[in-house]
Amino acid sequence: MAELAYAAPLRTDGKEPNFLQKFGHAVAHGDIFTKLSFFIWGLGYIGHGQLIKAVLVTLVQGLGLYYLGVAGIPNLMKFGTLGTVQMEMVFNPATLKNEVNDYDNSFAILLLSVIAIVVILALLASAMAVVTSNYQLQRIRQAGRKTNTFGQDIRVYLNEKFYVTLLTLPVLGVVIFTIVPLFILIAVAFTNYDQQHMPPNALFTWVGLTNFFTLFGGGQSLSLTFGYAFGKVLIWTLVWAFFATFTTFFGGVFLAMFINDKRTKLPKLWRTLFIITIAVPQFVTLLLVRNFFSDNGIFNTMMANLGVTGLLRDAGLIGANMEYIPFLTNASWAQVMIILINIWVGVPYQMLIATGVLMNIPGDMLEAARIDGANPVQMFFAIKLPYLLSVQGPALVTDFVKNINNFNVIYLLTQDVYVTTDQAMAASSAKEVDLLVTWLFRLTQEQYNYKMAAVIGIMVFIICAVFTVVCFRFINKKEATFS
Amino acid sequence: MTQVMTASTQKQLRQGRIRRGVRSILRHLVLTVLAVIWLVPIVWLVATSFSGYRGINITTFFPASYTLDNYTNVLFHPDSVAQFPRWFANTFVVACFNCVISTCFVLMVAYAFSCCRFKSRRLLQNLSVTVNLFPGVLAMIAVYFVLRYLNLTNSYAGLIMVYAGSSGLGYLICKGFFDTVPASLREAAKLDGASEARIFLQVVIPMSRPILVYTIINSFMMPWTDFVMAKMILNSGISSDWTVAIGLYNMLSRTLVNNYFALFCAGGVLVSIPISVLFVIMQKFYVEGITSGADKG
Repeated sequence: MAELAYAAPLRTDGKEPNFLQKFGHAVAHGDIFTKLSFFIWGLGYIGHGQLIKAVLVTLVQGLGLYYLGVAGIPNLMKFGTLGTVQMEMVFNPATLKNEVNDYDNSFAILLLSVIAIVVILALLASAMAVVTSNYQLQRIRQAGRKTNTFGQDIRVYLNEKFYVTLLTLPVLGVVIFTIVPLFILIAVAFTNYDQQHMPPNALFTWVGLTNFFTLFGGGQSLSLTFGYAFGKVLIWTLVWAFFATFTTFFGGVFLAMFINDKRTKLPKLWRTLFIITIAVPQFVTLLLVRNFFSDNGIFNTMMANLGVTGLLRDAGLIGANMEYIPFLTNASWAQVMIILINIWVGVPYQMLIATGVLMNIPGDMLEAARIDGANPVQMFFAIKLPYLLSVQGPALVTDFVKNINNFNVIYLLTQDVYVTTDQAMAASSAKEVDLLVTWLFRLTQEQYNYKMAAVIGIMVFIICAVFTVVCFRFINKKEATFS
Repeated sequence: MTQVMTASTQKQLRQGRIRRGVRSILRHLVLTVLAVIWLVPIVWLVATSFSGYRGINITTFFPASYTLDNYTNVLFHPDSVAQFPRWFANTFVVACFNCVISTCFVLMVAYAFSCCRFKSRRLLQNLSVTVNLFPGVLAMIAVYFVLRYLNLTNSYAGLIMVYAGSSGLGYLICKGFFDTVPASLREAAKLDGASEARIFLQVVIPMSRPILVYTIINSFMMPWTDFVMAKMILNSGISSDWTVAIGLYNMLSRTLVNNYFALFCAGGVLVSIPISVLFVIMQKFYVEGITSGADKG
């Protein structure tokens, strides 16, 4: 902690200076070692008597610079065009054979450039931190004190700076496996990376906002279908997310209240019966249910035997010459069935959670309401529901976002089963029962249309982000008025 | 009391008892109907797994004949399509690695955000929330390219990296629990000369058994239940390399379903057994975790 006293005291209002101010002060007042450490990190530490640290940081810096020199900078130079040399077979006079030329791989250029940008930013930020820390060391020495030994430094990272030790690896993991890939995909949204432009055989390049225009139905005739499909899929995604979230939430709450009621015997047994369904992995149950409701599946046989199929045919709910109920093969039927099956999947979870939350309602509150003569309905709407919403409000918001991205239920229930009859939808690889995420997944898997998948992904993010921000604003305001 | 009770009050009481009886029967009837609806697919799964007929039975709910063959076939007679023991071993290896790495990451991030105070804490937390809003499938497609570039597709190392790499983002529930560990305890330990690292390992973690169990089981179960990522990374088509989820999914492809549906059911039951056991252990912590995490937003 003593080191803090040697930090640059440059703000008159008593607040701690920020990173940039500290850096500026260090550069202005640092000695030669401090200044030089911006370029070669180790120099400063050598000058200030911390040899092991000097070697370590110089190694890290060397690695970063090595990457930039070997792969980063050369690819960054081509970043503007994403490569110009197409893959070709060329005759090599030396070996007398046809060989692949020294071609550009657009994806590799994009990937390595993004990594290079991240590395450059990291190197710059680290260099500034190194200068600042060297300035501290310099002031410690100027004050006639000793700087930390390496052992002492390590102890700092197990104590005051323990969070650095804890966060380094996880943050690195997130950066490599989430943030860098996301940057790459955001970049892909502005290129023409699709089946006609697949590296390594072909190049792709920047096309600006063209893909976004295509998504909203602008551009050539072919892309008109994309605007149409996007509208339909977006509406169904939102309808689905709304119903999936609220049906399971209220279903779970009612089931929990029903089972926890004093008049229900053996509540534990009932709860267990419903929980059994959670214990079977979702992909097993969903695939099973899909076969259960298939066109010539067991449920259709039962319905036909019971005469329900005929009844529905007479009522005009299914086509006149249909021998089966198209549970998962007709757009409207499939959409309703998906929501119903999702109730089946989701209600036990929500019941479990609601049971826990309802038990936490202060008993005296309910008692007081009962003495005042409130009936069960009033008690539900005046006490239980507000309480549930105040505890689970944030969870509901995240559930809604999760449902917008609910890949499993939709994909496992409809993939290979549902075939769209709408030509315009089929042209863009979309189905009436697709969510935005399943659509973008199939765009990449079936059409290799990465550019549009990336654009749709960005749209999903915008929808989720706007929704979350608005909802949390609302929740926070509400909480403020309650308390 | 009985002496004072007139005939009319006795009648009223009896009526009340009858009404209560009818209501109670109705209430339990509704519950029974609901429970049956919820259990039908499970019963079908278990019944079909013992079926003597290997395809989908579309005429009757219960199979015509019962046999244990499906289980013995699945466990001891793997063929080119159904290699359950291999899949089980593959998934187990991936699950173990994922379990260790993910649990460490989650605990570390949760402790840092809950118990340490540093300047960029709020910023990092907000960033993690924002990153979580991107659809996972989207990031996965990009990760797939990166892995393919590094030649890591069709390898368990790649799959483990995908599972565990950004697991640090799932720290919220665990942080909610750490928040409830009294700060005075940590302060007392600090006064006794313990370093932050020792407080983390010897004070906070031992006090957080429930959330530790929850995190471990959760990360262990992920490879057993995940389907999408495994399908994307292990796409070589060599069935001995698959995990349980992809293998079972493949059994239901159009050409195979008529020969392998009963085997699929047997495999499904076998996977469900360990998961059910883990879930029963976890159930208690599950609710605790969700509700304590939800408070904090």
